[in-house]
Amino acid sequence: MHSFLDNSLLSRLGSLPIESRVPMMGNVAGKHRSPHRGSSVEFAEYRKYVPGDDTRRLDWKAFARSDRFYIKEFEADTNLRAYFVVDASGSMNFAGKGVSKIHYARQIAASLAYLLVNQGDAAGLSICTDKLHLEVPPSRRAAHLERFFSTLAKLEPTGETGLINALHTIAEKIGQRAFVVILSDFFTETEALSEALQHLRYRKHDISAFHLMDPQEIGFDFERPHRFVDLEDGTAIVAEPTLIAEEYNNALSEFLKTVRNKCHDASADYQLVTTDTPLEPLLREFLTARLPKSKH
Amino acid sequence: MSFLSPLLLWFLAAASVPVIIHLINRRRHKTIQWAAMQFLLKASRESRGKKKLRHILILTCRALGIAALALAAARPIVSGLIGWGAGSIDTVVLILDRSASMEVKPGDGLQSRRQIAIANVKDAIADLGGARLVLIDSATATPQEVPSPDTLGDISSTAATDTAADLPSLLAKAAEYLAESTGRAEIWIASDLQTTNWKPNDERWAAARASLAALPQKTAVRVLSLTGNTTADSTILIHGARRSASELLVDLEILRSGTARGTTNLPLTTHLNGSSTTESLTIPGQSIRFQKRVALPPDSETGHGWLSLPADGNPRGNAAFFAYGPDRPIRTLVVAPQGETADYLTLAAAPPAYGNLQTVRTDRASAHTAITPDLAAILWAAPLPEDEAYIATEKFLNDGGHVLFLPPATASPLQFNTITWADPSDSPTGKFFILQDWNRADGPLRDGIDGTPVAAKRLRAIRRQIPQGDVTPLARWEDGEPALIRRIFDHGTAWFIGTLPDYTWSNLGDADVLLPAVQRIITAGANRFDASYLTTVGSETAKLRPGETRTRLDSYGTPDPANSPHTAGIWKLGDRLLAINTPHQETLPEILSKDELDAVLADTGFTLLDQAGQSTDPTISRDIWRAFLIACLLFLLAELLLCLPKKQPLTVGTPTTTRPGESRPMSG
Repeated sequence: MHSFLDNSLLSRLGSLPIESRVPMMGNVAGKHRSPHRGSSVEFAEYRKYVPGDDTRRLDWKAFARSDRFYIKEFEADTNLRAYFVVDASGSMNFAGKGVSKIHYARQIAASLAYLLVNQGDAAGLSICTDKLHLEVPPSRRAAHLERFFSTLAKLEPTGETGLINALHTIAEKIGQRAFVVILSDFFTETEALSEALQHLRYRKHDISAFHLMDPQEIGFDFERPHRFVDLEDGTAIVAEPTLIAEEYNNALSEFLKTVRNKCHDASADYQLVTTDTPLEPLLREFLTARLPKSKH
Repeated sequence: MSFLSPLLLWFLAAASVPVIIHLINRRRHKTIQWAAMQFLLKASRESRGKKKLRHILILTCRALGIAALALAAARPIVSGLIGWGAGSIDTVVLILDRSASMEVKPGDGLQSRRQIAIANVKDAIADLGGARLVLIDSATATPQEVPSPDTLGDISSTAATDTAADLPSLLAKAAEYLAESTGRAEIWIASDLQTTNWKPNDERWAAARASLAALPQKTAVRVLSLTGNTTADSTILIHGARRSASELLVDLEILRSGTARGTTNLPLTTHLNGSSTTESLTIPGQSIRFQKRVALPPDSETGHGWLSLPADGNPRGNAAFFAYGPDRPIRTLVVAPQGETADYLTLAAAPPAYGNLQTVRTDRASAHTAITPDLAAILWAAPLPEDEAYIATEKFLNDGGHVLFLPPATASPLQFNTITWADPSDSPTGKFFILQDWNRADGPLRDGIDGTPVAAKRLRAIRRQIPQGDVTPLARWEDGEPALIRRIFDHGTAWFIGTLPDYTWSNLGDADVLLPAVQRIITAGANRFDASYLTTVGSETAKLRPGETRTRLDSYGTPDPANSPHTAGIWKLGDRLLAINTPHQETLPEILSKDELDAVLADTGFTLLDQAGQSTDPTISRDIWRAFLIACLLFLLAELLLCLPKKQPLTVGTPTTTRPGESRPMSG
């Protein structure tokens, strides 16, 4: 059992399905809407009969009323393929007084992957740094989860972020629509991030972004002067927090707002999370928000 | 600048503590691995300049706040004397009141008011740089230049004395001195504002003010008043001393300081011819006046001694000196025709129990030959003197003798020094002339020293003669006519009483009135014999006459040869034996009111600095202390305002998924 998995939490969340906000194009039947018509029980539309159509799908009652042939079409349900893109740059290793951002990302990714596989969907993993891009292809098999979790467990954040490249790669690589979950602190160029998100959007992927921040990064409540060493490139600066707190907060606030807007521009769900947030309410809120309105 | 608690100035070093802490904090930084470096770098770049200035201001406010607190604790006072705006001054004329009352200490273990004034002036002069200091002390009233202000407290002209001060003449002296000097000058008056020294009703103030106004340069006057509470102080006074056979009758008064309450016991020590005896004295209230009988050694011709109290807040008032000469009879001349009046007067002048009292009787015609300088008093119950008798009587009065004139019993047109007798008049049948009121504080009918009144109300007269003249009556009959008047001569006094001790005139012969009145007149007349042994510091008697030298005979206190003329004690001036005491006015507690001070120094634009010194009510130092404390609070308030964060730190609420078109504002 991995430290980032909480069985009781998973059992409590098991009743909540993970829904896709856009029709999925899976390989097998599932519980998610497909852009194609299929054989589910949910009525989709009528269309005129054209030669070659399966006559078993003719609506004889409509023919009786209108003397015309109509084909009754139903929604096609398919499965969902989810890609968890985890930023493994050095900055994700920051832990103020609680858990590190990477640990928190592990918890979210593992929990959601478990729930997805448990409901018959496929979950894949993409880990990115500037030097490394690990991928675990999506799979629906329960045995696949162990590989998923092991990869997460072995994850050692280092170097600068490779998130932008990873997102572009995923956008290009995945041919079919998928559910892309990004777990990152997004400490990168916001314009490049925007382009990467737009790339994913262009490919009609369902995107969700978890913006992970440490409470200390948000509060910046230091009193004494500190020597700050960059977790990614090792550069250092001595600063007196009381003097620069206002400017820091301004810059951070502007950054968070920009990232949120960029996500929204790319039709991505955005969730700003600090690592001291309890996981259950976070995931429950996330899953509930994704439910169709009628199921709320 | 000077401080009442200069040791606390070491706390000024604490002003550097905020800077030191800041520097130490900068060096003792903690290293932390940090992720959001891009914001840190940006913030660090943007915070330069304005932020740095703000931080410097915060540190400055902290340092100044602590410095102001330290200064307040040190209780600065000098600024009160010369003021914050004092510019360059060329000459400072210091009028130093070094009267006996300036030796009072504001508190236990503290310096006297005179010493506090000197210390303040020294520091203030030091602040003024090269100003010339000219001292006019109240004892010598002579301007003298002080070469170095540092020596001000060491020179004899600033030492303690037993003198009184005469402020109007001192200010006039200062104006006179400045009239001869050039440059910007100031007059500083250091005094305890004792009313008897300032003499607010003295006409010389106008002349002094006029002299100041006439100076070519504008001269500021600063009054450093040393008032306020003092330590417990008892003062002993001798109002008179008279030898009576083998005893010395000392009229003594002991005063306690104004704050004293209740009854207290004080040891009173009598030092006489090298030996001393101590007795306990109970003082109910603030003062007691009594007659002390000092037994003189057998066969003692002359001698001296002193009465002393234990050391207290003012050492100058703890001893009273006396001296005495050979025992001599007190002779009284009775000028009256044979009869009841002459008998009563003779009896009242020399009662049988009064050992050394003697009377000489004569008639009016031969009175001029009987009037001799050794007489204490003359009782004249006859027509007023004329011719040789007139001249002899007037000389007797001018030399200090006392004369009691009684009605001649007949109408007489004679005058004595413009005073004459009216014709005799009788009271209405069945009625008496009764005294309506009389002066109970002065004259021969005054109350006793223990407050017992003379039984003048019992006086009943059926016949009277009214003394007439331009005089103020000391007693009146019920119809308002004068019953007792006096005329003061150079050193003596003539008394006129309007009835006779004769049963056909009144019951004056009863002992109720005649005896005390006659005895008091004789005592007053005899005082000039004993008074030659008793005087006060600064009086004409206490000054050296040509050919005399001054030698101190007593061993009280620590002699200060340089201030011998201004020190109380037993002195031998040539052949004269003198007990020289502190002037009585130095014991009076009244101080000048602000209105009186405004009046005496009107138009001088004077500055009053109520420097209560180290007493429990240090007005000036408290004000300065408050100013520094307020400054401290202002600095700390400014520091607080500068430290207040302009914006709340950024916070993130409960995580909520936001979708395109939704917005969940972040706080901060």
